[in-house]
Amino acid sequence: MKRTLILLFTLLTFASLIVAAEIELGVKEHVLSNGLKILMIQKSGVPRVVCHIYYKVGSINERPGITGLAHLHEHMMFKGTEMMGVTDFEKDDAINKKIDELVDKIYREKFWKASGGDEEKIAPWQKEYDELVKAEKQYIIKDDLWTLYMKNGGTGLNASTGNETTGYYVTLPSNKVELQMLLESDRMLNAYFREFYSEKDVVMEERRLSENRPGFLFNEQVSAAFYAASPYQWSVLGWMDDLRKVTKADLIHFHNRYYVPNNAVAIYVGDLDPQNIIQMAEKYFGRVPKGPDVEPIRTYEPPQYSEKRVYGEGPAPTSLQMMFHTPQQGHPDVFPLSVLADVLGSGGGGGRGRFRGGGGGGTGRLYKILVQEKQMAVSVSARSRSQWYVGAFQFNATPRFDKNIQPEDLEKEIWAEIEKIEQEGVTPEEIQKAKNRFEAMFIRSLASTMSLARRVGGAELNQGWRSILTDLDDMKKVTNDDIKRVTAKYFVKDNSLTAIYRRKRGR
Amino acid sequence: MKKKLIILIAIGFLCISLGLTQVQKPSDLKFPLLKYDPPNPKDFRTEFANDVRGYIQEDHSLPLFNISAIIDFGGLYVPKDKQGLDSVISATLIDGGTKTKEGTVIKERIEFLGGSLGFRTGERTSTLSLSVLSKDLDEGLDLFFDVLMNPEFREAPLNLAKVQLIQRLRQINDRPSGVLSREYERVLYGDHPLTWQPNKTTYESINRADLKAIHTQYFFPKNIILAASGDFDKSELKAKINRSIAGWKNKKVSIPSFSKKFPQPEPGVYFIQQRISQGYVSLGHLGIEDINPDYFAVQVMNFILGGGSFTSRITMKVRSDEGLAYNTGSRFRYRWGYPGTFSGYVQTKSSTVGYAILLIMNELDRIRKEPVSDAEMETAVNYYLESFSNTFESPQATMSTFADLEMTGKPMDYYKTYRDKIRAVTKATVQKVANKYIHPDKTVIMIVGDFEPCNKGGDKWPGPLDNLGKIHRVKLKDPMTGEELK
Repeated sequence: MKRTLILLFTLLTFASLIVAAEIELGVKEHVLSNGLKILMIQKSGVPRVVCHIYYKVGSINERPGITGLAHLHEHMMFKGTEMMGVTDFEKDDAINKKIDELVDKIYREKFWKASGGDEEKIAPWQKEYDELVKAEKQYIIKDDLWTLYMKNGGTGLNASTGNETTGYYVTLPSNKVELQMLLESDRMLNAYFREFYSEKDVVMEERRLSENRPGFLFNEQVSAAFYAASPYQWSVLGWMDDLRKVTKADLIHFHNRYYVPNNAVAIYVGDLDPQNIIQMAEKYFGRVPKGPDVEPIRTYEPPQYSEKRVYGEGPAPTSLQMMFHTPQQGHPDVFPLSVLADVLGSGGGGGRGRFRGGGGGGTGRLYKILVQEKQMAVSVSARSRSQWYVGAFQFNATPRFDKNIQPEDLEKEIWAEIEKIEQEGVTPEEIQKAKNRFEAMFIRSLASTMSLARRVGGAELNQGWRSILTDLDDMKKVTNDDIKRVTAKYFVKDNSLTAIYRRKRGR
Repeated sequence: MKKKLIILIAIGFLCISLGLTQVQKPSDLKFPLLKYDPPNPKDFRTEFANDVRGYIQEDHSLPLFNISAIIDFGGLYVPKDKQGLDSVISATLIDGGTKTKEGTVIKERIEFLGGSLGFRTGERTSTLSLSVLSKDLDEGLDLFFDVLMNPEFREAPLNLAKVQLIQRLRQINDRPSGVLSREYERVLYGDHPLTWQPNKTTYESINRADLKAIHTQYFFPKNIILAASGDFDKSELKAKINRSIAGWKNKKVSIPSFSKKFPQPEPGVYFIQQRISQGYVSLGHLGIEDINPDYFAVQVMNFILGGGSFTSRITMKVRSDEGLAYNTGSRFRYRWGYPGTFSGYVQTKSSTVGYAILLIMNELDRIRKEPVSDAEMETAVNYYLESFSNTFESPQATMSTFADLEMTGKPMDYYKTYRDKIRAVTKATVQKVANKYIHPDKTVIMIVGDFEPCNKGGDKWPGPLDNLGKIHRVKLKDPMTGEELK
């Protein structure tokens, strides 16, 4: 019987041994019948396991009216289930339903009427709402899931929402992975969104924190201007108006559509036994029913056909940004663009993550020319960022204040360098340096269990985790001709946005 | 054949599901025992030529080599008229080149190898760190020790660093969070080397001779501890390091020490005007050193009060219950050789600043007056015990942790006894240390925000702010001149 079981695991589990630069990723994978993919990487060391679950949903799955919902929903996933965070589910549920009905009336009065509604009508509803919220508190166990994870030694405890994915993270002692399986499958299956309206306030405070960071509001406008149609145009935080008006019904609809096992991947990295992980995954995640297939987003960014320029002022440093539309992940031009970004901007801490060639300092061409030789800038960077549906190549530069250099002066210099590369390309040493850096950074990224989980899990949801290795191979094939070709193709005015920001205090 | 396989799979899954007990709720889970003993620093401690000390761990899981040198030098040791020298040395130790190589040559080579070489200075320690593929160990090591032992601080990179730092100075009053942490310390420590700041004049005064003097004074074998890990043979690495540092001369260790007496600031509200939509708040007073025997009890107490994120009282009250803030809690900050700070903190919209402060003050009061609950103790103590092994997740971080223990003079059995000391904390000691180290009557409440709306308050706390204590309007200094802004 035991042998049969082992054979069975061999059939069900595909252990991949792809090697890049003599590195073995050692990813083992297993797919549940409901479509949830389980990835496992054994790493010796301390007796702990990084447990992450990633859903294929982010701000690009929103639309005007519900911007910020993916992130708000991530917050709400900590508010309990039928089992967690509540002492008496039935009683709590009854109050919650009344709260939702009441808030629905308030929102209709406040937000559906151009006048902002009748204050006298709203006041008694608001009072009743306050009383119900107070009454509900007796049934709520605050932050139950978070407390349980911490009590059991959970570290790296967090969640994050991006444009494309949302992740839920905890690292546990290796004897307690079952706790994560129970809690994560429970909230995938039974999430219950209590305290929705006060959590909206928390998220609005989070947005205000960002707004108070010098430059945030300008950069938000730059992104909105850069993308005319693509849902990458709004930030993960969403617009304040939408945060105010988004409803519980929006949230539930969003959850039911995207939080299904066939739209997720669970990854475990550390001191683990894959057979044991598979057994637990079958037991806990296996009970969640498969959902309808999720359609990829429809709206890609259309060609721009015209140059865009944005001007602004405020408390951040005077700066220049030049942005160019580039292709999405998986497109062959992504690799020469990444090498080019590294040649122009290497050494400034950029280049982390996937396809993010570049950086801003050190030995990059632009730093040598504009900061060291011509002494026109204090910093300059070049970055190539390809995402699931769109890409962007971006230059950032800060002019020298003491020499009265203007952003427009730096803009001319960067265009001159672009034209030079279009004609001559770059040197073989520069290309080799970029390739060496990508390979070494790849190996270094495998050292941390947490970053390994992020990288493999994130890649799995788009092109599959093996793309991490094939991308590295494609990067190694880039030639100078490729670089000249992509420079000519993408660095044209009608594909660009130039943003000029001047520092002005007192706003 | 196909049917047979389906049956086999069905049986297989049946076996799998019978292999685990069905669990409905977390309290039903039974975890197997897990024993973990932390690594012993003695097993990694290595002595090199000229009394250089170090901690080394072989780790053959990836073809990488990491090494750091931790130096007993930091911004605290810089004289008042040369403030910023630590930032300048941080920017030029590598960029300024060595006796035989220009900085650009070193950086170009490291980057060509796909490696990284960085130097950063802290308050009392600085760290030079190298990471390269293990095939490049020899070349990397040569560059690492050349930079550490023979920096030249050439004029062009030095001048560029000064320009960049002066330009950055112009922005330092723009970020409310940066202003708050700087000015909060300035009130708590007064005019002391811990709070001195650079300005344009001090940056401009810094020359190559100053940098050379700092290097001579602090960068010598006895004042440095190494931390290394990676794919190498330990005895071979030791021999290579010994060759690199063979001619490195020692000096007498001479570390400046400063007064540990600080003025007692007048309690009340310290307000810094900025036209923003929120108030950024820190409230508290000086804290303790982490060598204080009460340190472990203070950690547990603060976890319950506001350090244990969502499980803590302040976060639950201010964020979860009231929806007033994204960031809120309390923290003890520690610094080597001097008392750190204690603060409750929150960032919230202007109209709820006063209310949020009141809620935090209530919690400071409560943890002093009432014993914490059994459940709170269980969560806090178990968190420290069960997450303990996480400290040793990365070999390089572990080696650096051990080097840091030795540098700061902590006992070498610190981690061996850590869990016992946490286990020894009781509800009574939590209340005792709350009373001993939290003083609501001495609290400085610092707010960076827009005065009028903060002062006006809102429904739940209608203001004015002087209900919270006497209001002191704090004027910022012009970062360029160091003079008070008008």
